Amino acid sequence: MKQLLNWFRRRSLESGLDRELRYHVDRRVSDLMLSGVPESEARRQATLEVGNLTRVKEEVRDVWLTRWLRDFVYDLRFSARSFLRSPSFTATTVLSLALGIGATTAIYSLVDQVVLHALPVRQPERLVLIDWKGDQVANGFGSWNLMSYPICRDLQLQDRIFEGVICRAATTVNLSTGGEHKPAAAEIVSGSYFSVLGVGPAIGRVLGNDDDGTPGASPVVVLAYDFWKTQLAGAPDVVGRKVLVNQHPMTVIGVAASAFRGIDVGQIPSLWIPAAMSAQAIPGFQDLLDRRTRWMQVLGRLRPDVTLAHAQVGLQPWFKAMLDEDTRRAGFPRITAERRQRFLTSRIVLTPAPQGHSSLRRRLSQPLWVLLALTAVLLGLACLNVAGLFLARGSAREREISTRLALGASRGRIGRQLLADSLLLALAGGSLGLALAPPAMRVLIAFLPRDVAANALKSAVDSRLLLFAFLVSVAAGVLSGLAPALQAGRRSLISSLRERGGAALGGVRLRKIIVTAQIAFSLILVVGAVLFVRTLTGLLAKGPGFDTSSLVSFGLDPRRNGYSPSQASQLIRRVHDAIHTSASTQTSALARFPLLTGGSWNDPMTIQTDQRLTTDRDVNLNAVSPGFFATLGIRVVAGRDFDEHDSRPGVEAGRRSAIVNEAFVKRYLGGRNPLGVRICEGSGPDAKPNIEVIGVVADFSYRGLREESEQAYFAISQGDEAGGNFYVKVRGTPELAFQSIRTIIHNADPALPIANFRTLDEQVSRSLNTERMLATLSSAFGTLALLLSLVGLYGVMSFVVTQRTREIGIRMALGATGGSAIWLVLRDAIAMILAGTAIALPCVAALGRLLESQLFGVKPTDPVTIAAATLLLTSATLGAALIPAYRASTVNPTDVLRFD
Amino acid sequence: MPSPRFPIPQGTLDMLILQILSLEPAHGYGIAQRLEQISQSVVQVNQGSLYPALHRLEQKGWLEAEWKQSETGREAKFYSLTRSGRKQLVVEKDSWARLSGAVRLIFDEGNRS
Repeated sequence: MKQLLNWFRRRSLESGLDRELRYHVDRRVSDLMLSGVPESEARRQATLEVGNLTRVKEEVRDVWLTRWLRDFVYDLRFSARSFLRSPSFTATTVLSLALGIGATTAIYSLVDQVVLHALPVRQPERLVLIDWKGDQVANGFGSWNLMSYPICRDLQLQDRIFEGVICRAATTVNLSTGGEHKPAAAEIVSGSYFSVLGVGPAIGRVLGNDDDGTPGASPVVVLAYDFWKTQLAGAPDVVGRKVLVNQHPMTVIGVAASAFRGIDVGQIPSLWIPAAMSAQAIPGFQDLLDRRTRWMQVLGRLRPDVTLAHAQVGLQPWFKAMLDEDTRRAGFPRITAERRQRFLTSRIVLTPAPQGHSSLRRRLSQPLWVLLALTAVLLGLACLNVAGLFLARGSAREREISTRLALGASRGRIGRQLLADSLLLALAGGSLGLALAPPAMRVLIAFLPRDVAANALKSAVDSRLLLFAFLVSVAAGVLSGLAPALQAGRRSLISSLRERGGAALGGVRLRKIIVTAQIAFSLILVVGAVLFVRTLTGLLAKGPGFDTSSLVSFGLDPRRNGYSPSQASQLIRRVHDAIHTSASTQTSALARFPLLTGGSWNDPMTIQTDQRLTTDRDVNLNAVSPGFFATLGIRVVAGRDFDEHDSRPGVEAGRRSAIVNEAFVKRYLGGRNPLGVRICEGSGPDAKPNIEVIGVVADFSYRGLREESEQAYFAISQGDEAGGNFYVKVRGTPELAFQSIRTIIHNADPALPIANFRTLDEQVSRSLNTERMLATLSSAFGTLALLLSLVGLYGVMSFVVTQRTREIGIRMALGATGGSAIWLVLRDAIAMILAGTAIALPCVAALGRLLESQLFGVKPTDPVTIAAATLLLTSATLGAALIPAYRASTVNPTDVLRFD
Repeated sequence: MPSPRFPIPQGTLDMLILQILSLEPAHGYGIAQRLEQISQSVVQVNQGSLYPALHRLEQKGWLEAEWKQSETGREAKFYSLTRSGRKQLVVEKDSWARLSGAVRLIFDEGNRS
């Protein structure tokens, strides 16, 4: 570092050294003269004693700044000067590198934030996710890796393995901090949460074990720092204030440390609620202490002396004993011997979780890695492009380099100079790319659902990203400079000095190789783009299986506002009646669970025909009101829709009815008449199939557009609709309908928040955001790649034509036709295109596995796609080669021969 | 015929410079003179090689330099020992003492037999 500083003050250092040495010699001369030596003799002797001054100076300079570093700095300066002299070359190369580096950096930033970044907690590397592999014989709700609260309590006793164990569940509550009720993301956590993670308060205190004792006895919350700052303007007196969580008054005891945003990167909580208050946080939830309700993720902090493998082994005895004890507990469900076996052979599995737990990561990590791979290919392409430009410039600099070689520069020295060239360019490109990255990140984030991504992901450049961009730039610089540097070292000195025009044939061969690689890379990107576009268009063309036009939906959950189930049901009824009779409504219906959000209510089922059979996988279930299928325009293919009769309140068990979809019939009832078959939810021996199938509907998408699954629908019985999702076919524009629906709900209860209020078209489009992101970005990359390789091919072919003008002229003079001249040039281009294609196709096959999970309705090795992409690439590149080829055919022999 | 002068052993120049400067600050020429006198013309120091050594020690932070008026009235660059330079001198003296002690031991051993 000190050495680098010396570079900037080398002028004063030099003059200082000069003065110092001059003083030395002069003093010696005068001392010698004093002792009687004549001046000329004294000067001679002094000079002799001090030795070779130039060498001394050089040695001192080496002390100031190590030799190679000094040379390198000189090289960089020389490069910078020569780049300023050819601005168009510099601009082209810097821009292509900036695009590549900017794109890679932007996508890496998302990968880092979503996949790689460790939680800002104490020693995140010791955090593990504790998960149950096997059958928990439990009902669950939530995302993934779920277990019950009592199991978390059990694990907390395993203190020879864990320093501490936490559990948490994400939910949404209606929060009022004074005025309006707003839905707010909340994390329900064990009392150990903050102490185990090592997160302290910004003000007040955080939750402790005392806040997580008797259920319902500790109405306290901790607010998130961002929420406190933005929603409460950072009020210093917030500690001690009362807030309403689902209408239950709770006291704010503190604000968490500013850097901490929960353990799920995709769901940033606004507040933390102790698990003891879960009945208040989740309306109707009474199962906190039930061992057979799985709803929380459990994470542990390993003791410093315990490894992951040891912990896993060490937990099994406790776990086996617990399983055994569970089966003997009162209330353990009666299950088949086979299922009991599955329960008893369950295992507890630990996985490192320094990044916490996130369903966003689960959903996005695969697409993000795909995108990162695509950008890496794009960056490689940009490097090749720059390498090609360098070679072109290199042949222009041929004479300069030959002269330097002739004057005694070593080949290594010249190569280093060229490497300095490319590093300088790459760093310039990297800086520009870094400037481009934040807007690119904003574009990327805009592809993701707004409510998830907006507050979770940042488009800022931090030090990690800076380091990444720097490393990528250096790598790009070395990659793009290597070929030209090697090339410079290989040229024969004599031949290049002798040649006047300099027909650098070796350079051309290398450039051809580079263009071939460019074509290969482009083909990979174009194939990727076509695959993703076909996936998106395929999904859009398939649609959800129902008519989305003029269809809007929203959700209401009055229980979160303190309604009792029966009050809530009355309110829903009232709202539904009002909407039903509104002038802007054609038809409307209710469903317990929303469509196309990725989730569903699902369970295995038992089917009773002439024999009893259980489904081999979960069936997606929903409860809907009469008219649901008609509202969505879904065809009833057999039997009938539910009617008021089916949804009468308090229907006796034997009279309940269900509707299944065609996929269900096909998989489980193949050939049989489905009407009259009896089914029920659950697969245990205690399941009583007593619900009659009264109708079959056409298949449509429930969880998402990709899914084709078995579905079964029950009738919502009146009095059971304590919350729900409305589906309304509107008259006129959706905007007008939004107005009138808002008014209706406001009239019913002004404090009731409306969730997910949007058109079904929007819902479809939201459910496709990952696919859209992949399709759009890969198309952009593919186009860019194609352009780059067109430019590359055109450049090298024009160069060849220019070099061979004389030869072509002579051929023409000897009677060759224009056509044969075209062929002469085109032959080369075709060889490159074919070679590039031959390289790319196996790569496409290899990369296909990475893409497979992201595709729909098309295989990564789909022949039509690959043929189309190859055709596109071939015709475009041939087009680019035709221009110089045509120029070759118009060579006038007399001009050429006279020119010499 | 006077005995030929020894070239200064590798690596001891730094130590000698530190030692000379521990007495009082001096400029390059002064250090060269002092070296000549102290070593009574037994050790030969290439005067040119003094300067890379001085700059190296300065870079390491063991010396600091200042332009001051010299005894002849002209400005000269005076070097003086820093605090860490003093520490370094102790370290080098110590290791030198141990090395020469070890060499003597080996010689004594040889004499006894």
